[in-house]
Amino acid sequence: MKNEENLAYFLNEAKTIKPRDLGKKLRIAFLASSTINGFEETIRVKCFQKGIDCITYVADYNQYNQEILNQDSGLYQFKPDITFLILDTRHILGELFFSWYSIPYDDRPKIIDTKVREIQNICNTFQKNFDSKLIVTSLQIPNYSPYGINEERTMRSQKEIIYEINNELIKSYKSSNVFIYDFNEFVSKFGEKNIFNFKQFFSGDIKISTEYIPRFVNELMGYVYAISGITKKCIVLDLDNTLWGGVIGEDGFDNIKLGDNPIGRSFIEFQKRLLALNKRGIILAINSKNNFDDAIEVIQKHPNMMLKEDNFACVKINWDDKVVNLQKIAEELNIGLDSMVFFDDDPINQEYVRESLPSVLVVDLPKDSSQYAQIITEMKEFDILKITEEDTKRGAMYLGQKKRKELENKVSDFNEFLKQMNIEVSVQKANSFSIPRISQLTLKTNQFNLTTKRYQEEEVSNFSSSNDKIVECVQVSDKFGDNGITGTYIIEKKNNEEWIIDTFLLSCRIMGRGVEEIMMNQIIEKAKLSGIKRIKGEFIPTAKNKPAENFYEELGFKKENEFWVFNTDKKIKKPEHIKVIKNE
Amino acid sequence: MNEKLYQIISKVFNVDSSKINDETNPENLEEWDSFNFYVLLDEIENEFDIKFDLDEILNIKKIGDIEKIFVKHGVKAE
Repeated sequence: MKNEENLAYFLNEAKTIKPRDLGKKLRIAFLASSTINGFEETIRVKCFQKGIDCITYVADYNQYNQEILNQDSGLYQFKPDITFLILDTRHILGELFFSWYSIPYDDRPKIIDTKVREIQNICNTFQKNFDSKLIVTSLQIPNYSPYGINEERTMRSQKEIIYEINNELIKSYKSSNVFIYDFNEFVSKFGEKNIFNFKQFFSGDIKISTEYIPRFVNELMGYVYAISGITKKCIVLDLDNTLWGGVIGEDGFDNIKLGDNPIGRSFIEFQKRLLALNKRGIILAINSKNNFDDAIEVIQKHPNMMLKEDNFACVKINWDDKVVNLQKIAEELNIGLDSMVFFDDDPINQEYVRESLPSVLVVDLPKDSSQYAQIITEMKEFDILKITEEDTKRGAMYLGQKKRKELENKVSDFNEFLKQMNIEVSVQKANSFSIPRISQLTLKTNQFNLTTKRYQEEEVSNFSSSNDKIVECVQVSDKFGDNGITGTYIIEKKNNEEWIIDTFLLSCRIMGRGVEEIMMNQIIEKAKLSGIKRIKGEFIPTAKNKPAENFYEELGFKKENEFWVFNTDKKIKKPEHIKVIKNE
Repeated sequence: MNEKLYQIISKVFNVDSSKINDETNPENLEEWDSFNFYVLLDEIENEFDIKFDLDEILNIKKIGDIEKIFVKHGVKAE
């Protein structure tokens, strides 16, 4: 990760990149109330560099209303997956941007109302007619008032009404396909004097200066990551000079810098940011060259360690190769290397990992620890569309996972281990609580995924209310805790004889314990009850779903052309160690 | 000619610096468009630590005009 390149770089790079044709392309549209040259070039290059193939559509200058309201518009033909609507205060308020206080006090609420409804109308029409996510920028709070120091003492002041418009919009779209991007976050991060250049504004109605377009587009990338499901799940951390100042093996427990002094504070702040991400569902792991006993003592006993041993899902403190450790962490946590971020202060380690494991995101951590906390707060790679209950409970789940692993290592016979686990699987029809999670699973699950079809929330919701589909999910728990909703299947009822498995997946944390067999059993039982004779499924190979490759065959499906077929009069093996609870 | 200026132009417009001279303008250089002109100005302002006035910007019709502004701002040829 480097500091931001300038716009010239993106404009030129955009001319040279060629889509790799990795299948489905992400369709990104830009609509705006000002000049937005340079946005589409920048986002194409950024996507390309992250391995996302995209194509873009840029609406003509200030045509956003027509594009959304007129069903013959280019936007409708384009069929976007993500649409960015860049609004701005000057445009929305028009003359009132300058003359707000000439409006009689009593007339002001009506104006707020009109403005809010104008924007809502566009958003709602969009939601009705497009499958795309719509990201709308909130309005910038002006940094000037003719009332000067009296602005804040004035009722229904200009600032107050803009806050009100923003809040109304935020409240209207808490849970929908519309996302409000807090433009004031961008302004406060970089400063209006930087992002707004009067010369460019007067010359070409450019409202985000060319110098800051790459940084603005970077803010939007969070949505791109979330929608394309390529989010990072796990942060792997070095210890010495990464989580604390100094080297434990040389400085000792009492002399490492992790306390109330300038250097120590920078590490504490960094740890607090990591802890907050961990509570939100980001997995933490350690990869450090150290004597295990020295380093673990700090983690267990140092009073200023914000991160405790239980916050780490996997700990590798040894003298092994860092790349080997990273691979082992990926294996033990059952996640892809491409969902990992690596923090290490040593530039040689950074380079080594970057070279050896290009899919791991290696953070370009500088020598100066005062930058660490800021670096992590500027990362967009952790964004997901919706934080589900599973996310916030993930820490506890991985702790359970660690304990499962310990039991597995202790019990020599795998079947005995499974029996001791007391696994319970609850099968549920999709409902409003589970639909966001089901969508998230289809977007994120790579390994045990027979078809790897990615579905947004509204698609899952449409399937679940359709008479031609069955959408169910499984919640898995055992004696070490609740794993949450970790598996799902979508069945297409083709006709009275045949069902087709559209989607069948299980989170990699759970696979290999018989839950996948239980899920297939459910489908077959259900099919029998409905008088269905055949169940057909496809295995669509990807770079990652090898673990599911032989699944159909193992369960007795027979290959017919590209399909695997199961005749429901046959018996299917059913794991005995799992208790099934049906909530239909 | 100012070599550093030519390097910047070459980089921003992504053209070989041999294609640039004081008479270069949007008509005879297709890589020069109305938008990347602003990006060019950003780069020049940063690299030479100067700020163009709005009327100066509007009067830049060819590369030679930028060098005239340099003289006014006391930027030395490098």
